[in-house]
Amino acid sequence: MVQQQNQSSRGRAVSDKANREMKYVISFIFMILLTAAAFYLVSTGAVAEHLILPLILILATIQVFLQLFTFMHLDQKGTAFYTIFIIAGIFFAAVCVVGIVLM
Amino acid sequence: MGTLLVLIVFALFLVAIFTGGYNKDLKGLLEKSTVWDWLTTVDHKKIGILYFFSGIFYFVVGGIEALLIRMQLVVPQNDFIVGDTYNELMTMHGTTMIFLAAMPLIFGLMNVVVPLQIGARDVAFPFLNALGFWLFTFGAILVNLGWFFGNAPDAGWTSYVSLALNEYSPGPGIDYYVLGLQITGIGTMISAINFLVTIINMRAPGMSFLRMPLFTWTTFATSALLLFAMPPLAVGLLLLMFDRLFGANFFDYTMGGSSIIWQHLFWIFGHPEVYIVILPAFGIMSEVISTFSKKRLYGYTSMVFASVLISFLGFMVWVHHMFTVGLGPVSNSIFAVATMTIAVPTGIKVFNWLFTMWGGEIRFTTAMLFALGFIPTFVIGGMTGVMVALPPADFQYQDSYFLVAHFHYTLVGGVVMGLFAGAYYWWPKMFGKLLNETLGKIHFWSFLIGFHLTFFPQHFLGLFGMPRRVFTYQPNVGLENLNLISTIGTIGMAIGVLAFAANVVLSFVKKEKVPNDPWNARSLEWTIPSPPPAYNFVQTPLIRGYDAWWIEKQAGNKSMKPAEPIGPIHMPSSTFVPFLMSLSLFIAGLGFIARENFAAGILGLIMFFITMFVRSFDRNHGCHIEPEEFDQANKGVKA
Repeated sequence: MVQQQNQSSRGRAVSDKANREMKYVISFIFMILLTAAAFYLVSTGAVAEHLILPLILILATIQVFLQLFTFMHLDQKGTAFYTIFIIAGIFFAAVCVVGIVLM
Repeated sequence: MGTLLVLIVFALFLVAIFTGGYNKDLKGLLEKSTVWDWLTTVDHKKIGILYFFSGIFYFVVGGIEALLIRMQLVVPQNDFIVGDTYNELMTMHGTTMIFLAAMPLIFGLMNVVVPLQIGARDVAFPFLNALGFWLFTFGAILVNLGWFFGNAPDAGWTSYVSLALNEYSPGPGIDYYVLGLQITGIGTMISAINFLVTIINMRAPGMSFLRMPLFTWTTFATSALLLFAMPPLAVGLLLLMFDRLFGANFFDYTMGGSSIIWQHLFWIFGHPEVYIVILPAFGIMSEVISTFSKKRLYGYTSMVFASVLISFLGFMVWVHHMFTVGLGPVSNSIFAVATMTIAVPTGIKVFNWLFTMWGGEIRFTTAMLFALGFIPTFVIGGMTGVMVALPPADFQYQDSYFLVAHFHYTLVGGVVMGLFAGAYYWWPKMFGKLLNETLGKIHFWSFLIGFHLTFFPQHFLGLFGMPRRVFTYQPNVGLENLNLISTIGTIGMAIGVLAFAANVVLSFVKKEKVPNDPWNARSLEWTIPSPPPAYNFVQTPLIRGYDAWWIEKQAGNKSMKPAEPIGPIHMPSSTFVPFLMSLSLFIAGLGFIARENFAAGILGLIMFFITMFVRSFDRNHGCHIEPEEFDQANKGVKA
């Protein structure tokens, strides 16, 4: 009985692992698609020129979040410090940009 | 030709190492030698000592440069050192003191003390620790090579463009600055990440964040500052390198570049840099004052808060170095207000130190004297800091000796005094021997008096209109006497440093060893032998509160409660790869400075990637020290 339970839990762990790996593959495919889309927009001129920059910036933002959550594992527990440091970094960068560009 | 010869010999040497084509006996002898031991060590205490002595070496070099500067300025229209040589001296004095003296001295103390204070056996990445040190060393050598080959950097420690561009600074001088600092910067960045990870992950059981000693806290804040401040410098240096070596035009306004960008990038790094060097000094002060007042640090939580707040605000104020650039009144006032807010957390710290001493049982050891001398000196520096933070007034002060006086009061009166206090305080822990107290007091008094004699008159020199970075001044405009006094003061500081050097030599000659806890101190590093064994703690201690060791002493315990049974201890193995990596970057830097074609530079980079490859496939996962070997391994660091 106990053994069976162990086995089934191990079976679940294996399928969990497969799921997680699928998650990486899927998000990796998404990242490649996003990058390809950005290249497509810039190289073919499919949209009006003044729209290109905002569009690729939006694509880049989605990309950053995908990478943070899958490759940097921000969806897991115990990542408070990473979050604090990332937010601090973004904040300092924002201050510098405001200081240099707008002032 | 000479370069080629050196490279060939070096390549043969490398081939010999990697193919094993060497004499086995000789290799055995080499590996047993002390020099090899220090070249390949990954032990945080030994790396700390290496950092510390490199720092002292460059402190003396920078000090000699300062003495020469003051010699030139002793009388008006002196012709002892003029023109380019003077520019080189004052540039290298600043660069050396900030990057090559203050930083390694701080990293030295952090390396030795922080793992001991948090109950860890080493830092999180011992390999990176060694790499950080060797990158620093080779970068520092590269910056100073300018004295011997070509010319030394001469555009000021800030190396402002357009002055630092090819057109106005021909010759390799600025290249040495750019590439040398780039290499030391990589090392600094690596070490900062290492300390962050160490402090977050390797604290002993029970050591929560609000039980960490204050020096560990300030190390944490400093490392976070470095993490965010070094990249702008790296980018700035990279752009300058492209402008100088490869004909780019980032800073050339005639080609659409902008010279203000360099100032922004430099000061986005440069202002946090001054907090990077002062925060660890604050931490040392807190430890020393608390220990020698025999009292718990007053307002511990507010001290932690103040440290974090200073490091946070440190990024909001860089434009106060650029008030006179002409960024406009809105920008100037916002950054002026932000700058003045920093006086608040600093004030919190000063009052907390005073309240720690209030009613304490004060012992006037040398370390405590330095801490006591630090407080009023630093407060004067902070006060002039608020003065120069006012944009209208700053237009008067800027580029005058008032500024020189201000930042020497904070950097010498703050950082250097803090580091001396730390040296006297932790010397027994580093080497197992006390520094002589009488010599120490001679050191303190001559240094303190000499310091104030040198720099106090400079406030007035500045107010009377003497510009900084200019190699001479006119007679009969009221500058003679104060300059003379200022130069006389440097003799006092020189005597102080000589007394310290004598003290260091005497401590190595001395036979008597000190016990674990010579100062009746409070934190974890004093629970283990002096000097500590390679593995630091036989058993990881259990922490029951802030001032962990003091709590146990009050409870009548002779040692810390262990948090684990005695067992084999995993230790990292020594490695020569960090040395080779840094050496190859050094060769690359030298090759790029030599210009011509960049053959040697590219060769150095190839070597660098080979060493990275070697490191990636290194299967050595360290060794274990078994409990039976503890006594043999207990020899510790050789003094």
